[in-house]
Amino acid sequence: MSRLNRDVYIAIFLIVFTAVFFWQSFEIKNIDYGTLQASAWPRMILVVLGILSVTYLVQSLKVGPAEETESDGLGFFERYRNPIVCFILYFLFLFSMPYLGMLIAGILFVFLLLSAIGGVTPKALIIHAIIACISIGAMWSFFTYPLGVILPQGELISTF
Amino acid sequence: MIFENILLAVQELSTLETLLFMSIGTLAGLVAGAIPGFTIAMAIVLTLPFTFSMPPAQGLATMMGVFVGGLSGGLMSGILTGIPGTPSSVATTFDGFPMARNGRPGLALGIGVWASFFGGTISAVLLVTLAPQLAQIGLEFQPSDYFMLVLFALTITASLAGENLTKGLIAGALGLLIATIGEDEASGIARFTFGFDDMRQGFSFLPVLIGLFAFSQLLTDLEDRVKAKKALSEDGSSAVRVEHLAAIKIVLSQWVNLLRSSFIGVFTGVLPAAGSSISNILAYDQAKKASKTPEKFGTGCAEGIVAPESANNATAGGALITMMALGIPGDIVTAVMLGALLIHDVVPSPSFVTEEPVLAYSMFLAFFVANFLMIALQSGALRLFVLVTKVRMYILAAIILAYCGIGVFALNNIEYDMWTLFLFGILGYVLRKLGFPLAPIILGVVLGHIAELWLARATAISTSVLPFIIQPWSMFFLILAVFSVFFSSYQDNLGKKTWTLFYTPALTAAMSVPMFLMEGTARPILGVILLLLSGFLLNRARQQGWKVNPADAEGPRLSEG
Repeated sequence: MSRLNRDVYIAIFLIVFTAVFFWQSFEIKNIDYGTLQASAWPRMILVVLGILSVTYLVQSLKVGPAEETESDGLGFFERYRNPIVCFILYFLFLFSMPYLGMLIAGILFVFLLLSAIGGVTPKALIIHAIIACISIGAMWSFFTYPLGVILPQGELISTF
Repeated sequence: MIFENILLAVQELSTLETLLFMSIGTLAGLVAGAIPGFTIAMAIVLTLPFTFSMPPAQGLATMMGVFVGGLSGGLMSGILTGIPGTPSSVATTFDGFPMARNGRPGLALGIGVWASFFGGTISAVLLVTLAPQLAQIGLEFQPSDYFMLVLFALTITASLAGENLTKGLIAGALGLLIATIGEDEASGIARFTFGFDDMRQGFSFLPVLIGLFAFSQLLTDLEDRVKAKKALSEDGSSAVRVEHLAAIKIVLSQWVNLLRSSFIGVFTGVLPAAGSSISNILAYDQAKKASKTPEKFGTGCAEGIVAPESANNATAGGALITMMALGIPGDIVTAVMLGALLIHDVVPSPSFVTEEPVLAYSMFLAFFVANFLMIALQSGALRLFVLVTKVRMYILAAIILAYCGIGVFALNNIEYDMWTLFLFGILGYVLRKLGFPLAPIILGVVLGHIAELWLARATAISTSVLPFIIQPWSMFFLILAVFSVFFSSYQDNLGKKTWTLFYTPALTAAMSVPMFLMEGTARPILGVILLLLSGFLLNRARQQGWKVNPADAEGPRLSEG
C-alpha cells in the first residue's frame, strides 16, 4: 500500500469517525438551566476535527504517490509479531483477572510474554518463571501491604 | 509573606519519610532518564500510582524528584554511550560523547551534572520569584481570557509537535474529544457513551496517559525482534568516577554561557508546549555562535556540555512557572505533573499560589531540593544505570507492562481503568505508527476539561462571542494562537520565502493592539515598543531589498519530537 493510499484511508476514517460522533452528539440531552449545553463544546471540537480531517484528505490527495520502498520481505504479522502477541496476552490477562486474580493472572501474563518473545528453551522457561514470580509477587506485595490497595483476588482463590 | 510560606513549606518537606521518597524518586528519575527509549514523562507517569496514598505535598515532592532526576539522567547514557537517554539530552552527546571517548568520561559527566545543578538552581530561584508575580497577572484574566489561553496552548503544541501541522492539530482535537466522553462535569449528562453504562464515568486521566504514552512506547521498543532480546546497552559501559572538583571549576569559569543557557531554558519552559527537548538544542546553538572557538564544538569541548545541560534543567523551572501560575502545562512533562495535581485534588490556577501557599511553595522548594539530591545521588545512579542496562529489553518491558496494569488499578480500584489503559495502549501504538504526534493528544485530554469549564463560565457571563475577541487578554492569546498555527510553516520557509520577512513584524504589531487596550501605563508603553520593533524589522528588511537570508534556514528548528 503506497503512502498516498494510507493517508487517504486514514483521512476518510477520520471523517467517518467525526460523522459518527457528530450524529451521537444529538443523543446528548439538552437541559433548561445553564447557558452552555452539554453538547455545545463536543460539537465545536467535532466541527474543528471535521474541517481538519477534510484538510488532511485534500493534502493527502494532492501529494503524489509515494515511491515504493524496498520491502524487507516481512509480512504484516511477521513485522508486528511482538506487539500483536503483547495485545493478545494483555487482553487475556485482563479477561482472566476476575477469575484468576491479579497475582496469578499477572504472573501468567509476564511468564507467557517473556516466553513468547524470549524463547522457550528449558533454561529460558525456568528463568522466565522466576522473573514472573518475583516481579509480580513483589509488586503485588508492595501495592497490597504498604499502599493498602485491595487488588482483585479472583473467583478461583475466593472459592478456596 | 514569601519567607513565611517558605518556612511552612520547609516544615512540610523536612520529614524523613518525604526526603526518603524524594531521594527514591530522584534516583528512579536518574536511572529512567538514562535509559534510551524511556522518557521523563514515562518515568513520572509510572511513579504516579505510588503517590496516590501519600499526602499531596509528599506525593508531588516525590514526583519533582523524578522530574529533576529524569532531566539529569539523560546525560549519563548520552555521554557514556552516545545515545541520549531522553530528547532533552540530545545536544549533550555532541560534545559529551567525544570528551568521554577522548579519555575524560568522568570530567564530561561532572560537567554535565554540575551544569544541570546550576541550571536547575537558577530556574528554581526564578520559579519562586516569578510564579507568584505571573499568578498576579493571571488574576486579571476573565473566563474568556482563560479559554483563549488554553486554545493558544493547544495550537502551539500542535504546531511544535512534528513535521505535519494538520496531524498535530487533529491529534489535539482528538485529545479534546476524548476528554468529553462520559458525564459532563457541570450537568451530569452522559456524552458519547454509545449505550455502555461503564462509559458514563468517562476515561480517567492516568490510564489514558499510561496507555498512550508508556504502553505504546514499550510496544514500539519490542517491535524489533532482535533488539527486543538484546540488553539495553551491549557496549559494556561501566561506571566511572565523576570528577566533581574539576567540573565545578570549569562550569563556574563559563558563567556567561551558564547564565545565558539557563535563561534560554527558563524562557523556553515558560512558553506553552516548548520543552527541554527544544531548549537544549537552542542553548547549544547559541553557545556555539557566541563562542570564540566554535570550531571546537563537536570535538568534546566543555562549553558544548554546559549549554544543553544547564538549559534542559532550567526549562523544568520555566515550565513549572507557567503551570503553577496559570494552570497551563509548559510541556508534556508538566502536563503529566498537572494531571498528578488533579489526581491529588489540586487544581493549579492564578489563585492557587495565594489559596494553597504551603503546597505551592512546597513544590517550589521540592524542585530546589531535588537538584541537590540529584548531585548527591548521581554516582549511585550511575552504578544502577550500568546494572539496568544489562537487562534485556523484553524482560524490562514485560514487567513494566504488568506494573502499568496494577498501577492503573490502584487509582480507583476498578478493572474498567485497566481496560481503558489497554484500549489507549492500542490507540497510542497505532497513532505512533501512522505518524500522529502523541503530545497534543495528551495535552488535549488534560486541557479539555479546563477549556470547557472556562467556556461555560464565560458564556454564563455573556452569550456573545465578542468578549473572546475584544477583551485585551483574549485578543492577546487569540493573536498568539493564530500566529502559532502558522509557526510551523514559517519555520519551514524561513530563509526561503519572502513572506517570512513579515511574520515577526506582523506578530509584534498585532500584539501591540491588546497592549494599548490594557489599563495602566506600563502595558501601553510596551505596546509602543512592540510597534517600534515591528517598524524597525520591516525597515531593516526593506533596506536589505526584501531579500531572505539562506543562513536562517540552517538554524535549529523549534520543534518537539
